[in-house]
Amino acid sequence: MERARDVKKVHPAVVSAQAFQVADHRPVERLFEDAEGKDRRDKALSRYPEKKGALLPMLAYAQERNGWISANNMEEIALTLDLTPAYVRSVATFYTMYAKRPVGKYWIQVCTCISCHVNRGEEVFEAFLEHTGTRAGEVSDDGKWTVIEAECLGACGFATAVQVNDQYFENVTPETVPEVLAQLEKGGSEE
Amino acid sequence: MNETTSEAINLTIDGVEVTVPKGTTVLQAAERAGVVVPHYCYHPGIPSRPAQCRMCLVEIEGQPKLQPSCVLSATDGMSILTQSDTAKEARRSVIEFLLLNHPIDCPICDAAGQCMLQDYAFETHQLESRSHEAKLVLGRDRIADDILYFADRCILCTRCVRFMRDVAGDEALLVAQRGHKAYIDTFPGKDLENEFRGNIVDVCPVGALVHEDFLFKPRSWDMDSAPSVCPGCSNGCNIDIAVKENQIVRVKPRYNADVNGFWMCDHGRKHLVMANRGSRIDLPLIRRHGELEAVHWGEALEWLSTNLPEGGSGHAVVSAFDATESLAAVRALLGRIGIEGGGYRLSRGHEAELGGFPQLKLRAERAPNAAGAELFGFGETDGLPEVSDGDTLVVVGDRLADAPADYGEGAGFFLYIGSHLSDAARNATAILPATTFAEMEGTFVNHEGRVQRFHQALVPPGVARPTWMILRRLLGLGHGEVTMLEARDAFAVAASESGRLAGLNWDEVGLKGVNPGGTAAPVAK
Amino acid sequence: MGYPHSHELEVGTILSRHFGDPKARDLNTWLTYGGYEGLKKALEMEPAEITTVVKDSGLRGRGGAGFPTGLKWTFMPQEQKGPHYLCCNADESEPGAFKDREILRWVPHLLIEGCLVAARAIHAEHVYIYVRGEYFPFTNILNDAVVQAYEAGYIGENILGSGWNCDLTVHIGAGAYIAGEETGLMSSLSGGRAEPRIKPPFPAQSGVFGSPTTVNNVETLAAVPMIVVNGSDWYRQWGTEKSPGTKLWCCSGNLERPGNYELELGVSLKDVIYEVCGGAPNGKKIKAVIPGGSSTALLTADELDVPSTYEGLQEAGSSLGTASPIVLDEDVNIVRAMRRIADFYAHESCGQCVQCREGTSWVAQILRRIEVGDGRLSDLDTLYDLCEQLTGRTICVLADSVVFPLRSSLDKFRGEYEALIGGRP
Repeated sequence: MERARDVKKVHPAVVSAQAFQVADHRPVERLFEDAEGKDRRDKALSRYPEKKGALLPMLAYAQERNGWISANNMEEIALTLDLTPAYVRSVATFYTMYAKRPVGKYWIQVCTCISCHVNRGEEVFEAFLEHTGTRAGEVSDDGKWTVIEAECLGACGFATAVQVNDQYFENVTPETVPEVLAQLEKGGSEE
Repeated sequence: MNETTSEAINLTIDGVEVTVPKGTTVLQAAERAGVVVPHYCYHPGIPSRPAQCRMCLVEIEGQPKLQPSCVLSATDGMSILTQSDTAKEARRSVIEFLLLNHPIDCPICDAAGQCMLQDYAFETHQLESRSHEAKLVLGRDRIADDILYFADRCILCTRCVRFMRDVAGDEALLVAQRGHKAYIDTFPGKDLENEFRGNIVDVCPVGALVHEDFLFKPRSWDMDSAPSVCPGCSNGCNIDIAVKENQIVRVKPRYNADVNGFWMCDHGRKHLVMANRGSRIDLPLIRRHGELEAVHWGEALEWLSTNLPEGGSGHAVVSAFDATESLAAVRALLGRIGIEGGGYRLSRGHEAELGGFPQLKLRAERAPNAAGAELFGFGETDGLPEVSDGDTLVVVGDRLADAPADYGEGAGFFLYIGSHLSDAARNATAILPATTFAEMEGTFVNHEGRVQRFHQALVPPGVARPTWMILRRLLGLGHGEVTMLEARDAFAVAASESGRLAGLNWDEVGLKGVNPGGTAAPVAK
Repeated sequence: MGYPHSHELEVGTILSRHFGDPKARDLNTWLTYGGYEGLKKALEMEPAEITTVVKDSGLRGRGGAGFPTGLKWTFMPQEQKGPHYLCCNADESEPGAFKDREILRWVPHLLIEGCLVAARAIHAEHVYIYVRGEYFPFTNILNDAVVQAYEAGYIGENILGSGWNCDLTVHIGAGAYIAGEETGLMSSLSGGRAEPRIKPPFPAQSGVFGSPTTVNNVETLAAVPMIVVNGSDWYRQWGTEKSPGTKLWCCSGNLERPGNYELELGVSLKDVIYEVCGGAPNGKKIKAVIPGGSSTALLTADELDVPSTYEGLQEAGSSLGTASPIVLDEDVNIVRAMRRIADFYAHESCGQCVQCREGTSWVAQILRRIEVGDGRLSDLDTLYDLCEQLTGRTICVLADSVVFPLRSSLDKFRGEYEALIGGRP
């Protein structure tokens, strides 16, 4: 499921639609200083009649690079788009997928909304907590796991749906949770 | 948002017919019909109208769905019901929702008595809640070095955020998170520093934003208030001075479409609260046998009338903080004793403009009435005049706080009229206690020549009197015994003595002021 | 045909013919399937002609509201003064709905083609496909298709030598249901909080970036190419007068065969649940069905024999919505299910309107209290009253959305509430 991300080749039409919660993030202090960052910024800006349009893509890029969006990232984005840092923060905090603090390498979002709820969604959630040894929202000691409950993931026919970074796991039951984790661990070790 | 045109339309609000220009909103039309539609997010001075508080919903006869009157354009023949059962029920429920997580801490809230939530809660008789749920507690936060945010009292009308964005042009406040977890905040580490930030406290319809220097001090019903003009600079912002126990406790802008709109700057607010400080001259003092001696007014003035030298070399220092009436009286006195010229000192500072209301600017001249002083022939001076032995020296209003302790010592006669007794002032031959502008009535002339009245907010200490009252009495001694007790009379005399103010009427100046010369102003140098 | 299951009742012609076939994602294969014929035809038509065909077909918006698509297009200014935009709403977030994701996943070129045809009809120079952030895997599929289409000259300048230019950008959200509301979507797309705003101005007057904009759902746009190719009468061979055509059904909850099915509008809801989806698993009885996504009024097992059309479900006191029935079997605790739905809306309220911000969360709190056995009978009166206070008072309909399932559950399953309350006043 890992996509090779040769960022230089991102077509401008889809530069605003890159998966941003990825396990293999490559942290960077300043977002738009290296060639990749500049390329992302310029391509995104080229797709909107107003600079502000590139705000969500820029926030997403920050998370893709760093795994979460720091205050420094927000300030840099604000400067880039002629916005105030306060404005950028108001937008960033509106959306639940932007991590405003560090999360585990694998950000496990278990859907417990109605269709998953009637298909043992809460039990699946509890199982993830148990098998990762974490409490909801916290990062495991080894930095690998963060488990949260999520609202509808749009996979209602495949309940219980679980999103881990940019991947979907469907028809998950409490019993198959260890398999999911094992698969993730395997994916992780290949890097 | 709604541009009005000259075309007139007729509509009915709660049965009252009203004619308004096309483009008027229903809320504004209702105001004209004498009906106040309760509202939170709408503020007439903030351009954006998100219609999100849903408090101003009204019924349009014949339409099932209630509409927000703050954005609804009035149309011809419309019939609006603000008091129908549905409209009232909608308002009641908004209040019930707002109170769900509200701490109801009115007994310790600075806004109590001036709170739109409290008012409407009483109006809708919601004394008991149907909620059995635990309240969400968010606590409080500092958003500027002088402003605190009580998140639990906040109703998220976003007036403060939009003031900063739309009016101050400084989008430094934000709504963080969303839904029932939303709150107002700044960017981490970036407290508000804008020089107009104090206005967010004024636009807050509840007690969520409070000035720290006002926190837990007076209750609103323990305060008196007087309309006045800010002395912080030459812009002449219209203000209300709130007073408790003869101390200025708060200053708020007073609406004036031509000068400051709904706003004022923070320099002005702070400047005035500082006016409480310092010990005051409260009795007339005359120097006899080398010693200053307290006397009553009659004796002081009689003594002065006899001893104030006429003719000879002399100097005069006045203050741009004094009322126009006082400055006119000083000029008249100087004329009597043969002193020409005279000047005032003016401190200058940085400027700051309110982007969304550019008429309002913290102006470089940090005094309210330099233009008034100019009208009576006083010019700005860099320093104090050098006084040679035997000269006459008249100082009115200038506190001489920075003058050397021996300033004026060698003067032949040194008349000091003022409010505070500095070391230099102690060298005077006669010291007369004058009121500050807050303790009297009078006028200031602002940077564009606009004449504006201020009212008395404080009781003066001791027997201090307005300078104009002191001097007109002094001038009257032996000349028909004129006693002038009313500012309106002092203004009439002053107006007659200045070409530019001639013919101006005290009542016409009113609470909003007039600009007799249009915009061509006799501005300070 | 349906995915992951198919059924003989299906009309898998328009949207789902290639569901389950990964080859359909590739442009070259797609062309052999007859792809982009609608675009080619549209390029030879006047924009107004395209609109007329779609208008005549009776195609209604598949995002939930069912507004006639062709009519919506006519709202765009006829005289073009500046750029026009088309926004494809792929922010599918209504609990129960997962149909747009299957279109993105299996037939991305169908959606791209539909976008281009619609863009031509409304004189749009740029199409934005706003995909919900969570849909990374499906967005990746769409992205690949978009790049392929750009490179082959189906998008961009001088499309297929016609002289017509149109750009297309894929844009993703980041977790906000309300970005699916059209003004919320436009606000989000222009770099803001996805807060709905009052109308007027309507999107066709002042939409995204202040320019005339039309917002259409994925499924709506995906239906357009075949309508243009085959004509409006062809499309009307399915469905009813007021609800013509086919509809993707996404069925979830306690079902033997959950998933997507493309069915003619008008088929009985009961058949969808029992015939197509095989009823509840393990021989369980069905207690209730929320027919159109979580924001619609629930129907009891006895009320399912209704024609699944916009008008049919409305008559039954519910709504077709996104045709996303959520089936609750006999083991489901209705109060708990309602609490779960209320939690969703409380979590997704943008927080502008007081009723929605405070009311949705209050409803969830009351339901949670009843659920854990701390309810009172007076809570039921309060809930009924809140249904009134949350209806028709706000900028958008998110608050109304919680009322439909809640009120119907109070009406139809009061006994379950009372059992948990246990008679406490």
